[in-house]
Amino acid sequence: MNQNWAEENLQTIRTLMERTAVYRRALAPIMLLAGVIGLVTMGIGLYYHLDTTRQFCELWLAAAVVALAGAFLLARRQALKDREPFWSSPARRVACALFPPLAGGLCLSLALPTVRGDIASLTAFVWILFYGCALNAAGFFMPRTIRRFGFIFIVCSCGLLIAYGVVWTHSDPNAQLVMGFFFGLLHLACGIYLYLTEKGKNAA
Amino acid sequence: MNPETFLQLDRVIHEKGRLAIMSSLAASAELSFTELRDTLGMTDGNLTTHVRALQQEGYVSVTKSYRDKRPLTTCSLTAGGRKAFMTYIDLLEKIVRQNKK
Repeated sequence: MNQNWAEENLQTIRTLMERTAVYRRALAPIMLLAGVIGLVTMGIGLYYHLDTTRQFCELWLAAAVVALAGAFLLARRQALKDREPFWSSPARRVACALFPPLAGGLCLSLALPTVRGDIASLTAFVWILFYGCALNAAGFFMPRTIRRFGFIFIVCSCGLLIAYGVVWTHSDPNAQLVMGFFFGLLHLACGIYLYLTEKGKNAA
Repeated sequence: MNPETFLQLDRVIHEKGRLAIMSSLAASAELSFTELRDTLGMTDGNLTTHVRALQQEGYVSVTKSYRDKRPLTTCSLTAGGRKAFMTYIDLLEKIVRQNKK
């Protein structure tokens, strides 16, 4: 008998456990938090008429930073509560999947305010597309709901981008409302759905 | 290798297919039958047979429910199953240590 069979078995177990481990940590609270931040940001944008592309980008980038920090704290708190490592293998995979599209979105956010003309709506549509791609990629290591959620963002943003060039040639939809709907309302709805369906499955 | 340690290995878990099922379920709170089948690349019949054997041993619990009006079969490790799996891993590690000596 091969003397290494026990080692090989252990390696197989490790590989399988890594492959099947799905990131579920604090997803519902994170989605709910993102939803609330999205709606509050939309409210601020509408109230103070932050309509120029620069103001729009700055406002929503600030909101993204707050949401990201909140998500980090929620996930960390959950990990500490469950006495599990925060930077687990599924968490690493999710971070790696999220990074390229989100980095692309960030670069775009920094570049777009330098473009002349009002393109806040177009920025919003492209952000939704990038964010959808990020969720869709990360969704392969998360519950299926996240991948579907990302897919909804991708499909909607494609529709909006086509409409932007074809239908809204004279007046664009309000970018703040679009962002509020996608990053506020949809996240709240997803958070509630996850809360109801993923109860008690917080392991990462 | 000490043959006594080898003989202590749980024969139900030690089978390749069942070990794969136990490993997958140990990493997740629960997995649907489809997820398990796709992850492990098993046929429906093969997976059913192995899951049934693990269920009879009290290592795996199977729940049938409906999601989006479709039947959904989910599998999860029982407390006894998790304990048996941990014991199995401990024994494997012991064997590896013995082999290295």
